[in-house]
Formats: sequence, structure tokens, C-alpha cells
Amino acid sequence: MRNDWDDEQLLAELREAMRARRAVPSWFVGTGKSAYAWHNIDAELAQLTYDSQTDADRVAVVRSENASIRALTFTSAHLSIELEVAGDSLLGQVIPLQAGTLEARTKAAVTTSPVDEAGFFALEPIPASPFQLRFRATDGAYVMTGWITL
Amino acid sequence: MGLKASRPGLAGHGDPAAAALPARAAAGDQGAWDEIVERYAPMVWSICTRFPLSDRDLEDVAQNVWLQLVEQLGKPPEPAALAGWLAAATRRECRRVVTAARGPEPPGTQPDAVPVDAVPVDAVPVDAVPVDAVPVDAVPVDAGPVDAGPVADDAVLGEEIIMAERHAALRAALAELPAPCQPLIGMLVSDPPHSDAAISTALGIPAESIGPRLARCLEWMRESSALLGLAEAGANRPGGDPGA
Repeated sequence: MRNDWDDEQLLAELREAMRARRAVPSWFVGTGKSAYAWHNIDAELAQLTYDSQTDADRVAVVRSENASIRALTFTSAHLSIELEVAGDSLLGQVIPLQAGTLEARTKAAVTTSPVDEAGFFALEPIPASPFQLRFRATDGAYVMTGWITL
Repeated sequence: MGLKASRPGLAGHGDPAAAALPARAAAGDQGAWDEIVERYAPMVWSICTRFPLSDRDLEDVAQNVWLQLVEQLGKPPEPAALAGWLAAATRRECRRVVTAARGPEPPGTQPDAVPVDAVPVDAVPVDAVPVDAVPVDAVPVDAGPVDAGPVADDAVLGEEIIMAERHAALRAALAELPAPCQPLIGMLVSDPPHSDAAISTALGIPAESIGPRLARCLEWMRESSALLGLAEAGANRPGGDPGA
């Protein structure tokens, strides 16, 4: 198949293509480019697999008494991180249960919290959004979540 | 047309340089990654603008979408399916953020989560809101079901993907052109476009030579690997109206 745009069509398409590019704020492009800093970091990305707000319909049927508590679950190939908002704290548990260290990262700061043998940890106060969690297990496993906004 | 448009041969780029970008980025080439972002950020942005998102939400979406792609680099989808993958990931993240922002939070905790002036008031019929899903007083009148509205169904996403590939190929073709062509075409497609007199002055060429020079540049452009690749991929229908 050959390209059969005439000159006018080609110019019109080009104009549209350049307009679409100009419409994008430079910070939006910059955010995408800086994501590459995570390339080859020795950490598995844990995906958000449950959010009590997003999945509210499902929860309401099963356990309506808990529907007002914000709960999130992040899952990677090897472990899950469960989070629950409790007042000013963010309580969490690593499953399967294991000890390690948890970092909460905002753009400005990193806060480190211990994770006990039962996988429990607490972050207080809840980091300014957006933030990211990274869990380093004592056996060396390393998992990070995507950016979280609460 | 639906998401099948993201399969190779429909919206895939036949441009070998573009197709090589994911593998180069996976091998550690930040420049290749930057090109991927430059190429597809307009599509990610365009899909996001279909949702009522604040700047902070948009940054949240962008971070998560690109982070997920970084994570995928070692095990990429077919290069030709990259746009489709990104489009689907963007829609998923936008829906997640929109849903979270309108959730049953105490009033006032996230005053800027959904700026009122960013919400298309009549985008979704009010009666489409599932009234039993959330407390009635927590439902903004204009927050329709993000899963069912016209904001980004599969057909819309398919169009976004095809348009993104077409626009990316056009921008790449422009960048491939010999040096004298680039300012000439750049001035002609700027917004607003420049007059022949202004172009003549700025580029130091006679006004009457603009037409012939432009014709030659556009002919080169049609022969560029970016546009030939696009033509092979079958996504070169201008403006969705092939009969024009």
C-alpha cells in the first residue's frame, strides 16, 4: 500500500500532529522520562490489586460493616503488601509474613520503618501524597509499589 | 473498531527505527526511552483529558503508567502492540484515580482532588449514576460510571491508538527531512501558520520558490521510512475519511 495523501492532506495531518504534541505540558513528558530511573532497579513492582474504594461495590455485598475503612492491596510475583488507613496512621502487613524494612518515599523525603516477624508495620503520619513504598525483606527480596495517593 | 487495532499490522508502526526503541530502552539506552515517551506522551495525555483529573491526578497517572512500562521493558509486548498496551494502561490508571477521587471520603479531605471547572458537566447522563453504589450525598452530579460512559470505550481507545501512531510517524518523518525542509514545514504548520511573505523573510528564500520547495519536501516526506512504515501498517487514512 502506498501513501496517497496529497500535499494539502499531508500538511493538515502534520499540523494536527504538531498540535497534539504542543498540547502536552512539559512536566507531563518529564514525568514519563524520569520513570526510566527505575529501570533495572533490583525491585519487583507490586501492582495495586485491591482498593476498597474502587472495589466498593464488591465489598458492600460481602462485608458492608467495613466499607468505610480504606484498604489497599499491592501484589507482586512473590508477596503482597496490605494497607489499611487507621486515623493518622497507615497500618500494613507483608504476606507471606516476614520481617524486613519498609521505606515510604515521597518526592521530598524517605521515611524508614521496621517490619516485624509477623509482617506488620505502621507509618505515622501517613506520607504526603503521592508516595511509594519499598519493602526490603531480611532475605533480600525487594518489592516496590506504584505511586499511592490517599 | 476496538482494541484489536493495537495488534501488529493494524496500528503497528512499520518504521524499523521506532520498532527498535523498546529493545534499546531495555538494554539501558535512556535516549531510546525518552523517544518512546516523546512519541506516546501525546496519546497518554489525550486519553487522560477524557477524564476529570487534576494536575496532581495527572502526575499520579503518568508516574504509574510509565513505571509499569519500565517494568515491562525486559519482557515487552510486540513492539507494534506498545501503543495499545500504553493506551489500556492509561485508561485503567485514569479510571482508578477518578474512582478513588470520588469515593466516600469525608468532605474537605481532598479539596482539590477534582477541580470543578475540569469536570465536563454534561459528559455523562446523571441518571446513569448507580445510586446504590455510594451514599447519594457523596455522588457529584456529574460523576458518571467511568466504566460505562463514552469517555474512553474500546472504540475511542482504538481511534486514539491509530491517531497516535499516525501523528508519531508524521513527527518522525518531519525530523528525518533534510535540514532546509524542517524550518519551512515548521513555519507552515505552526499555529497560526505564517504567511509566505513572513517565511520568505525568515528563511531568506524568494516567496515564489516556497511552493516548489514545499512540494519537494513533502515528496521526500512521503518516501521517509516513518511514513512508508505507516502506510505498510495500513493506518494512513487521513482524518478518518479515505474517500476525501
